[in-house]
Amino acid sequence: MAKSLPLLHLLLSSSPLNSSLHLSFIFISSSPSVTLPFALPSSEIAKRLENFKTTIFTQMSSLALKHGAINLGQGFPNFDGPDFVKEAAIQAIREGKNQYARGYGVPSLNAAIAARFQKDTGLTVDPETEVTVTSGCTEAIAATMLGLVNLGDEIIVFAPFYDSYQATLSMAGARVRSITLRPPDFAVPIAELRAAFSEKTRAILLNTPHNPTGKMLTMAELQEIAALCVEYDSLAFCDEVYDKLAFEAEHISLASLPGMFERTVTMNSLGKTFSLTGWKIGWAIAPATLTWGVRQAHAFLTFATSTPMQHAAAAALSTPDGYYEELRRDYAVKKEILVEGLRAAGFVVYPSSGTYFVVADHTPFGFDSDVAFCEYLIQEVGVVAIPTSVFYLDPEEGKSMVRFTFCKDEGTLREAVKRMEKLRR
Amino acid sequence: MEGMLSKLARTLKPSPIQELSHLAQRCGAINLAEGFPDFPAPAEIKNAAISAIDSDFNQYRHVQGICDKLSKIMKQNHGLDFDPLTDIAICCGQTEAFAAAVFATISPGDEVLLFDPCYETYETSIAMAGGIPVYVPLDPPQWALDEDKFMKAFTPRTKAVVVNSPHNPTGKVFSTEELEAIAKACCTMDCVAITDEVYEFITFERKKHSSIASFPGMQERTIITSSLSKTFSVTGWRIGWAMAPAVFASAIRNIHIKLTDSAPAPFQEAALTALSSPPQYFESLRKDYEARRDHSIQMLVAFGFGVQFRPQGSFFVFAELPGDWISSDVEFVEALIKKAGIAAVPGCGFFHTPSDGQQHQRRYVRFAFCKSMATLTAAAERMSELVGITDDIIFRK
Repeated sequence: MAKSLPLLHLLLSSSPLNSSLHLSFIFISSSPSVTLPFALPSSEIAKRLENFKTTIFTQMSSLALKHGAINLGQGFPNFDGPDFVKEAAIQAIREGKNQYARGYGVPSLNAAIAARFQKDTGLTVDPETEVTVTSGCTEAIAATMLGLVNLGDEIIVFAPFYDSYQATLSMAGARVRSITLRPPDFAVPIAELRAAFSEKTRAILLNTPHNPTGKMLTMAELQEIAALCVEYDSLAFCDEVYDKLAFEAEHISLASLPGMFERTVTMNSLGKTFSLTGWKIGWAIAPATLTWGVRQAHAFLTFATSTPMQHAAAAALSTPDGYYEELRRDYAVKKEILVEGLRAAGFVVYPSSGTYFVVADHTPFGFDSDVAFCEYLIQEVGVVAIPTSVFYLDPEEGKSMVRFTFCKDEGTLREAVKRMEKLRR
Repeated sequence: MEGMLSKLARTLKPSPIQELSHLAQRCGAINLAEGFPDFPAPAEIKNAAISAIDSDFNQYRHVQGICDKLSKIMKQNHGLDFDPLTDIAICCGQTEAFAAAVFATISPGDEVLLFDPCYETYETSIAMAGGIPVYVPLDPPQWALDEDKFMKAFTPRTKAVVVNSPHNPTGKVFSTEELEAIAKACCTMDCVAITDEVYEFITFERKKHSSIASFPGMQERTIITSSLSKTFSVTGWRIGWAMAPAVFASAIRNIHIKLTDSAPAPFQEAALTALSSPPQYFESLRKDYEARRDHSIQMLVAFGFGVQFRPQGSFFVFAELPGDWISSDVEFVEALIKKAGIAAVPGCGFFHTPSDGQQHQRRYVRFAFCKSMATLTAAAERMSELVGITDDIIFRK
């Protein structure tokens, strides 16, 4: 175990981390920067903080509490996960499984993840070298960016996108090329996609089924993306946390297309599928070399993932397919309640094939912006939605839409729909 | 595909501590390498977690009560005022709190001072943020801070100093004089202090842990990081925190939300129970670890190690290979695993300053004593069986 050159020397000799590149550090937030409560020299706070403002979700949730509004904004269930998974966690705690797990995952969980992936995609992966467990899919994304993206690399993303992507891309110092998916069907604009790819493209970041629109990438779209990745030798980072909540289409993993496994990081988590969003069990599946990069960053972000929950996750993932069928059926009923109710209230509801979100056009109600509409909805109607402008680099692109979730029990959804009848004028 | 890794990832090596742990597991060795207990966590705390899972505390959450309790504890123990609403961020372990603190304060090109020998994770957090780690060696055998060396390490680009006390791997608890010197320097040079205080409740001989934040001029420029892990023997739960002036804490909270969204919900609930533990809990924690420390030192000295510096805190002994043992720390550790079935950590992985002329960097081995007395007794027995059978391992001159 000979000690290599001190990290400092290696960085200075082989990396672009010198002062001239400091200037090319791209700041991709279009929102106002953090306001400091007292005067601090601006040199004290790293410039990247401009991207780490309080999230819209926290703001809306606080407002919701104040007004006793029904929260169809934040994407977590108000019902709990299955008993057998909770029991498994409790047993693990009792059995003393409370110390550091192996950094890249408890062996039984890595194996269960590989087995599930096999069933879902037909791909065989080595749990020891191709699976990494992280604190939720959020951390899988952060570790992937930090482990595989260099300062100045170009990354293609589809807007609207989940808000943590922007922040972690900024941390990695990436240049973002955003392609907007437009209503009503949020299809991938192929010409724009082809124009966005170049030799400078390090990776494309995909989220399917898609938050917030519910769009699921079709085989044709995935084939187009795959062809471009192969042509330009780019990577693909795929956030597939809603893969089990696919209603109107089959979920397809990009990694399963020819030529793609070797260049793809497929990410997922326990939380949405098993209604245990607070457990923070996620994972990244990738070929060994890419996994190496993800694991290095992961080791210094959180070091290890919660041990008892990992044991429970292994039990969860071994559940027979009947669980997933029931999950889909239950959510389909909830979706029906919400979508019917939104349409009756006067929204234009866009089709959503997957996830537990729907996006609706609020402009029939006469508000200038989605934020203004959401505030009105909380204060006067008593329902929370999320303004979708926060999911775009250019907020103007999203201001006609709001996102609702239906991961709530039926009673709550019916009550929310009832309140929204007030919108009908 | 190697070219697809980021430049940073390519420079990183796997954790030597984790690798040795794997070897130890494969050989069925007694693990005195990795710093986690082999005895159970306190029952009340486990029950609190179980009860939280049963009561459906399983979705994303932020348990404000943790901040309230931490605020009380800091006031009680250090006389420090932290506003629980604005000055405290809950994270996935101290690891994430530290990484977030670094991302919140370190811009590309900023220098960060670290005291050597040093826990291996800090430098990579700093490098990930584009910062430059600068090491200030502590002087063996007492691991004293040389103020001259320390002050000479500052440049116009120095942004922060990392203070890990009680210290991993040496077990040093920085003295009042040393903390004063560091505090003065931070104030004069207008730097931030980022602390790692995870062993704060494991100190010996009535030596009290002081946070550098409690020194004049320091609270406004210190980010404290710590966790439940070592204090409550739940290293696998990933509940930690950062405490700092509101502008730092809020930045850390926002970064944490983007890195992981939330710390595991049921364990946040259990943290409320843990942080309400009576003074007797901390007293017996200290006493139990002190007994283990003494037992371990005895075992090592009997075997022939030099223990010139008795750990004042943490659960590590940084023992020195005697002068007439010509094997290196790595050779010794490998042989110890294979011959005696005991795993420890070679000290060289903790040293980062250039090693020419610094022979001592290959002369230390870190032993963890966060193990049950049964384990430590078994380890002592295995070591005593080796005394006399030295040729294979020690290569005495």
